[in-house]
Amino acid sequence: MDYSNQIREITSKLFADNKIDYFVGYRQNSFDDSQVPFLITDPAEIPKLVFTDKSVFNLANYLKPDHTKRKRVGLVVKGCDSRALNLMLTESQVKRENIYIIGICCEGTLDDKGQKPQNCIECVMPDPVVYDEILGTPSGKKKYTVNADIKELAEKALNERADYFEEIFAACIRCNACRHSCPLCYCAKCCIDQETSTLYNGANTTSGAMHALMTWSLHLAGRCVDCRNCEKACPSHLPLHLLHKQNENVIYENFQHHLAGMEKDDRGAFYKYSLSDPDDFIL
Amino acid sequence: METEVKEAQGKIVSAENPDISAPADWKPVIIGILCNWCSYAGSDLTGTSRIQYPPNIRIIRVPCSSRVDPWFIIKSLQSTADGVLISGCHPGDCHYITGNYYARRRFLVAKKLLNFIGYHENRVQFSWVSAAEGQKFAKVVAKVTEDIKKLGPLHRYKKENF
Amino acid sequence: MNVFLVETDKTGLQKFYEEIIGKFETYAPVEKFGKYDYKRVLKLSECNPDSPIETTMSVKPLFFPKTAKIMKFVEDSSGTTVSETEEDPFAGKRVILGVKHCDARGLQVLDQVYKWDYIDTDYQKRRENTIIISARCDKAGAQCFCTSLDYDVENSDAHDIRIVNGLNGKTYIQAITEKGETLLKSFSLQSTAPDVAKDEISKHYKSFEASFRLKMNYSEVNAKLQKLFDSPEFETVSSNCISCNTCAFICPTCHCFKISDEKIKDAGVRYKSYDSCNNGYFTLMAGGHNPRPVKYRRWRQRAMHKFVYYKERFGVNLCVGCGHCAISCPVNISIFDVVNQVAKV
Repeated sequence: MDYSNQIREITSKLFADNKIDYFVGYRQNSFDDSQVPFLITDPAEIPKLVFTDKSVFNLANYLKPDHTKRKRVGLVVKGCDSRALNLMLTESQVKRENIYIIGICCEGTLDDKGQKPQNCIECVMPDPVVYDEILGTPSGKKKYTVNADIKELAEKALNERADYFEEIFAACIRCNACRHSCPLCYCAKCCIDQETSTLYNGANTTSGAMHALMTWSLHLAGRCVDCRNCEKACPSHLPLHLLHKQNENVIYENFQHHLAGMEKDDRGAFYKYSLSDPDDFIL
Repeated sequence: METEVKEAQGKIVSAENPDISAPADWKPVIIGILCNWCSYAGSDLTGTSRIQYPPNIRIIRVPCSSRVDPWFIIKSLQSTADGVLISGCHPGDCHYITGNYYARRRFLVAKKLLNFIGYHENRVQFSWVSAAEGQKFAKVVAKVTEDIKKLGPLHRYKKENF
Repeated sequence: MNVFLVETDKTGLQKFYEEIIGKFETYAPVEKFGKYDYKRVLKLSECNPDSPIETTMSVKPLFFPKTAKIMKFVEDSSGTTVSETEEDPFAGKRVILGVKHCDARGLQVLDQVYKWDYIDTDYQKRRENTIIISARCDKAGAQCFCTSLDYDVENSDAHDIRIVNGLNGKTYIQAITEKGETLLKSFSLQSTAPDVAKDEISKHYKSFEASFRLKMNYSEVNAKLQKLFDSPEFETVSSNCISCNTCAFICPTCHCFKISDEKIKDAGVRYKSYDSCNNGYFTLMAGGHNPRPVKYRRWRQRAMHKFVYYKERFGVNLCVGCGHCAISCPVNISIFDVVNQVAKV
């Protein structure tokens, strides 16, 4: 999967026609074969743009005002990225006329060991759902499968599972990289941020990390697109997808809704209700 | 690892931590988050009707069950609570029309996730109690208190006690 | 520099490690979720002390923990009573294995600020009671540039006991500080004829120095940066930063912290935890004013503090060239690239 040349051509034209102020793409990393997000305002930097199966980071993150200051932005998105972008549009975080979207029909990315990561293997929607231009051939929606890790964990005994998660929460250093790299975490004053909120522990304790990560994943439930930006950003390598995939599975089984951001104006499972929602767990 | 009620030794073992136990006369702390219009009024009726219910519950009043953010539950469990009860209006009777429909969805996901990370599923319970159901409220609190008593003291993920 | 040198081999080294772990409270890199963190070890098989490896966090948390209690308090009708916390868990005599030289150097750099305007007695005690025993890196990592900075890597005394895996297949255990020499002498190890051994150690260093991909002209960068506060380059180099706090938490020399109180009813504890100048709210004041609301200003502060301000005040560069930040950063921003691009060298 290599669309580097097409992306450079499109970007050149966009700058030449003065349609954008920023372009967000990828460039080669300086010390290994991975790629990093690259924001350009100067057309002279265009030759550095690349797009291959190592282009992993979800670039919709850079539409937050902190990065591109509500100016006109062109960006390149894969299937999962475009759903995050669609959700940001639905939730009025970006104006549609301010962005130019190059959609890529993704064939799966590769991690730093050269293997296809779990979220690409389990991907249900590789095609972009919103775009101004599309590259590649759409392959259509795939069948939903339950994430292998949560299936395995669900079968363990309660306190074994608890011990495992306690290790995870103890390793968290509350750096907030997960939150900052997630495109859907755009709250200006995040409630789990230790600076702005007195609700949460200012100290980096295990219990505080549990509180923060659980609240974060429940606020993202029904909106997460499984791009794994959070997991890759985490310096302690915590398996954060376990929490998000567990929520996704419950939503799929009980509310027949998943794939956040598929349609425009679809805000997700928690903005809808059905009169026949499961009720038997309530006394 | 099973949860055992070691009645012979007179101790109750914590469901999530088999190495922690409490004496048989241990009293659980339960936080009750009740919606103002139905459940809180219902609990008021229980009181004025002089119906007895276990005193372990501490009640917090919210305008609607959909005000309940997942962090209320987690913060309670992380502090001194051994269990949480959240109660709202019956579906169709919400004072704000649709609040409890949305809440119903959120409750299920939160409950499953808490169980996933290692809380016993009976630590957090939900109920629909209307303003006229004084009897039901007493029964609900009695059931929840009984369930939590069997589960033992909550020790997992606790904020440090000073 | 002491010349207590022991020549041994791989088996001898394993035995040495086992004896250390048996005799002292030992911390070493332990694997978790694919990366290494310093944990207490009771057996050699639990850890990898042999060559300094990529650790998630540097050795800083063992001296400046990510969360530490600093006092207790109780509120009652007569007012607030403050008391000391329990014994510091990190204050006992201990040995740390597998510390990269740059991390150990980071501690020496931190020493300057902890004895400056306020003597941090907790930190001093931890430093006094710790002995660092580690191997010199055999080759540089992809993001390392310690040899380009302002300190002598070859003759540094950051390690108390340095282990060198010579190119001739032998292993050299060398006491660098008095603490290290006292410890080595307490083992049944013989000091070897120093000249041949010193020659081998010097050869190893030359091969190590030649393996660096990244080199910078430090004095030129430092001199230029002092005049480049208003450079528009800061905006370009920080454009893809996401302002998470990772680099500051991971860095072996970053020392910013925040204070928070936690209470249940009337009793509580005051904690000191890591903080980062990259955080959007780091400079937010009561009243709402924030002098660094924009990303590039925060990055500028970080780069200048690391390469200019600390050097001005304490005479040593704050950055030690370890590359932790570049590897852990979610978008792989390297401070090496940042300062070189701004200084245009």
